[in-house]
Amino acid sequence: MSKSLAPKPIDQVVKLLEQRFGKLLVTINQTATDANIDCPPEHFRAVVEELKNHRDLAFDFLRNIVGIDMLEEGLACKYQFFSYKNRQAVQVTVLTPPGNPHIPSITDLYPAANWHEREAAEMVGLVFDGHPNLKNLLLDEDVRIHPLLKAHPLQKAEILQGIEDATPGFTF
Amino acid sequence: MSIWPEERVHALADDGFETVDMTINVGPQHPATHGVFRMVLTVDGEKVVDCEPYIGYLHRGLEKLTENHDYRQAMGWWDRTDYLAGMACEMAYCMAVEKLGNISVPLRAEYIRVMMVELSRILSHFMFFGAFGADVGSFGTSFIYGWRERERIYDFFEEVAGDRMFPTYFRPGGVQMDLPENYQDRVRWLLGSIRQGLEDFDGLLVGNEIFVERCRGLSPVTPEQAIAWGLTGPCLRATGFKFDLRKDEPYSVYPNLKFDIPTGANGDVFDRFMVRMAEAWQSTLIVEQCLDALSQMEGELVLNPDLPKTLRIDSGECYVRTEGTKGEYGVYALAKGGNKPYRMKLRSPSFCNLSALREMVIGTYVADAIIILGSLDIVLGEVDK
Repeated sequence: MSKSLAPKPIDQVVKLLEQRFGKLLVTINQTATDANIDCPPEHFRAVVEELKNHRDLAFDFLRNIVGIDMLEEGLACKYQFFSYKNRQAVQVTVLTPPGNPHIPSITDLYPAANWHEREAAEMVGLVFDGHPNLKNLLLDEDVRIHPLLKAHPLQKAEILQGIEDATPGFTF
Repeated sequence: MSIWPEERVHALADDGFETVDMTINVGPQHPATHGVFRMVLTVDGEKVVDCEPYIGYLHRGLEKLTENHDYRQAMGWWDRTDYLAGMACEMAYCMAVEKLGNISVPLRAEYIRVMMVELSRILSHFMFFGAFGADVGSFGTSFIYGWRERERIYDFFEEVAGDRMFPTYFRPGGVQMDLPENYQDRVRWLLGSIRQGLEDFDGLLVGNEIFVERCRGLSPVTPEQAIAWGLTGPCLRATGFKFDLRKDEPYSVYPNLKFDIPTGANGDVFDRFMVRMAEAWQSTLIVEQCLDALSQMEGELVLNPDLPKTLRIDSGECYVRTEGTKGEYGVYALAKGGNKPYRMKLRSPSFCNLSALREMVIGTYVADAIIILGSLDIVLGEVDK
């Protein structure tokens, strides 16, 4: 690409977060388009509150939430934030341990997170604690499968096993 | 007793008269929902007290399909997200693949892309003017006005790429092939036709007092609300907040082009309409500049010639965002080797704008709820993925 999306300087964010949380809880790397903050689920709420409410950070816009199946590492959830004030973008990655896909919901901080969290919940099986209405959004309400898990087949009859009270004659 | 029905009801309510809320189902098969969208409205008389949107009727598993296709094969699926402006979606997808694979794009291809994307934006906005006019009550007239220009642009798309709605014209590393020989004359003629179409719409809708009175002051949104709800694109700019990714996080050749970012003032339905009108006009200016630039580089490459037959990307992660026709059209991509992406996620602007519908329609009349839904300009292919 002739003009790439150059990452904005993120030094200030790094410094402020390190002052507050120390290097142990939050690690920051620059591999992605935007600076990426790796954060364990138990400190996620505190980090997001700091990102949103700190006067100099002011990440007021939640762009996107991505749920990813990282196989044996567990489920990952990536949040893309943007600060309209500073024109700065940051990504927060939360990696949940296998078998315990719980992440605190941020719908009270960012109303925009509501549908994003519902989508991530149904697609990969993340559980957002504190979400007001965590039911299926794009899939049928009765479907209890998570299609974006890597183990989920693309086009197989086994899909039916995951559907409670599957309608007789329901075929793909 | 008052002659006004509302005051009479209030007077009755003061005497202990109880009203019962009623539930109305709208959609999924309903012309006012612009596709297969369903909402359940709870109404107290004519006023909406609650609204629950249901989506997913057009869910085709875009992300799962992309994970299971070659980088180039998956292109076709992305056309089908925002099917009113397929090329704008292809642009975002190609930019994500290029970012992952560090693929460069020839300059001529960049100008062709921007030109086609801006024509797509005009396509999408004309659809909005037409459908929105029908929502407000001009029946089919505005719809046919919109389709006249759209057909002409579609004819040009067909000439360029071989298909009207789903062109699959872009490729990672450029575009499929060069434009047809007579494109300069064709597009300049198109621009004249588009400007005439915009003026016609201005006369038909903005010159109509009923239309203006229906829309002005309806569902005003402040910039703070818009940001909290995740509104982007024309819905955000209608609030007076000047933010456009083409200017503020520039990509492709947009920094070389001169254009304005139109904004509204009140964030109401009327401003959302007018912002799109002004935006379509600005797009014609961008297309004109692209034509001038393209005429200086005839015969140059339009596709990166150094690409292998199968794209393989070792590792990488990016979140690429473009100013789609409805707002921020973002693509999150994660590669872990091989010829397929490990994960691709679409941040669709219609999806995010629609999620604010509940807050916007509560307290309005039922007939206005339809207009507010129309003013968000959703396209269900993009909402449902």
